[in-house]
Amino acid sequence: MTETTATRSYRPGQWFGIFGSHATVLLPPTEKDRVGRLWALVDDGAGFDVVLDALISEGLRDLPGFVLVSAEEEETKIVIRGEARAWFTTGDETVEVSGSQATTWAERSVAGVEASRLVVGAAEEGGELPLLPIAQGLVRVSEVLAPPVDPVPEGEPVPAPIPEPEPELVVEDDAPDTAPHPVVVDEATPAPDVAPSGSVGPEPDLPPSPPSPPFGVPSGPPPAVPAPVTPPVEHDGLTRAGTSEESPAGPPTPPFVTRPVARLVFSSGDDVEVDRAVLVGRAPEARRFTTGDQPTLVAVPSPAQEISSTHLEIRPGSGADHGSAVATDLGSTNGTVVVQPGLPPEDLRPGIAVQLVPGAIIDLGDGVTIQVINP
Amino acid sequence: MRQVELHHGARSDVGLVREVNEDSFLASPPVFVVADGMGGHDGGDVASRIVVEEFARLADDGYEPGRGGDLVAATLRECQRRIAEYGEQQIAERQARGYAGTTLAAALLVDDGGPQWLLVNLGDSRIYRLIDDRLEQVSVDHSLVQELVDAGTISSEDAATHPERHVITRALGGPDPAEADYFLLPLPAVERLLLCSDGVSGMIDDDAIAAVLRDAEDPRDAADQLVERALAAGGRDNATAVVVDVVGWADVADYDSDRQRLSLEQKLGALP
Repeated sequence: MTETTATRSYRPGQWFGIFGSHATVLLPPTEKDRVGRLWALVDDGAGFDVVLDALISEGLRDLPGFVLVSAEEEETKIVIRGEARAWFTTGDETVEVSGSQATTWAERSVAGVEASRLVVGAAEEGGELPLLPIAQGLVRVSEVLAPPVDPVPEGEPVPAPIPEPEPELVVEDDAPDTAPHPVVVDEATPAPDVAPSGSVGPEPDLPPSPPSPPFGVPSGPPPAVPAPVTPPVEHDGLTRAGTSEESPAGPPTPPFVTRPVARLVFSSGDDVEVDRAVLVGRAPEARRFTTGDQPTLVAVPSPAQEISSTHLEIRPGSGADHGSAVATDLGSTNGTVVVQPGLPPEDLRPGIAVQLVPGAIIDLGDGVTIQVINP
Repeated sequence: MRQVELHHGARSDVGLVREVNEDSFLASPPVFVVADGMGGHDGGDVASRIVVEEFARLADDGYEPGRGGDLVAATLRECQRRIAEYGEQQIAERQARGYAGTTLAAALLVDDGGPQWLLVNLGDSRIYRLIDDRLEQVSVDHSLVQELVDAGTISSEDAATHPERHVITRALGGPDPAEADYFLLPLPAVERLLLCSDGVSGMIDDDAIAAVLRDAEDPRDAADQLVERALAAGGRDNATAVVVDVVGWADVADYDSDRQRLSLEQKLGALP
């Protein structure tokens, strides 16, 4: 699964470079805290929209600069803020996008990009350090070039394909030893599981549908979606279609859940992976979920009926909780207690999701406990 | 899944006012469907029949309960495609005045570590369950009045007589696919299941439905009586009811049988 062909070259520097299969994110050296979270997203194959959402989820004010590049089919999208510049070559034309000229950010969409160059931070920062190839990973960069170039230590980069695929391509082995290594390398990054198997992956048609279109003969309020129909006529049926006044908003789509974030070991014997929502209770029921979002139901014994029929939900977290499991008490009669490692027991508040640390113990009552461990 | 035994009854009637029965149903254990077609001319009954055909195919082609959710999603996509195609063809031939469409209420047994009911709903056909002699409406109508009730604009009592009560907001067919609501219920949480079109639930109230489901022992009698009561109440729409009982269920978990086999082989010396 490991990508063995470099898709870009980079010059070591101070900024963080996060390289995934669908998106590249560059962040200033001050933004170390964000890097981990974004890495998880980008490495899972998240695309432009998801990564941009995550980047700006806490507002722009505290984010002095960033670069987000994502190529989808023929089109390359870029968003730049702060001290960063990008050049895209299409045919015989070169487009420059600079973050420092924009008050918020500069956004551009370029079709048919053949080569690109990103430069971040102070101009001389990278100096004469050699260019190194990379496919996916997390590294410190000052400059990124695509397609990758021969690792010549100096001179203007000449875009050229790598002559031979390297077996381990995250760091070039035969790079000159003088090359300093301020480089964080994620060895053997597994390529994201692009094809989510089974029912856990988001279906392609998952995004919340627009307001329902009219069916049959429209009547009442004018339909939002013009349908090719002749003037309304009564038909012989009573059931008619109308236009929804609300958008049938499904639950938010979990971001790229392709692998379990935790395993749950039940004192009652079950052993369940959290790769989708898990509903736990005496006789758990799942209501109004959408295609591809089918939860796992785990029934636990409760002779004293202390456990509610649908007591607790554990699901892969999203946003700041991405990569962890989160637990939510679903308004159970007798409540849920969580003991996280090194912390005092905590009563879950109904409806409030709490992130679970591996090693946490969840007490449902009636002697039933759930141990949270790594998948 | 073979260890679950289901009994069922089903009845559909054109009603006293309408000329065509646009309702269709399927009772092919462990797959049950009620679909209420609409769309002028003869489009409605074609749309609901397409749904039943596709679900019958699902039931006949060696239905795998372990993949129930995926199979249903694929079946709905195929229904949507066929109905939309039919509707466009009708419009092109000026046979129809609007898109053909249909509601869907479906119940299937699925297996995810044990048998469960997977319920699917689009439109205003309903799914009820009887548990401890109490009737509960499980599905939530995709209808204008349901939205008004949810928004607090009208009460649920007003909804039964609201002039727009037949206007639904989601259906299969039409230019854009609609998102179905899914429900997952453990087997013991359902003593009796009812799928019905609004020709039943719109003609008689929940108390009357509950009384029939409680009193009629045989699910075939229950389905007959529900439709007869709907006709007696005016029969203004096609009326269809499918009633399903879980009559036998041997709870054999893989976990236990694996352990038993292992321990037997250990006793016999086949394993260290």
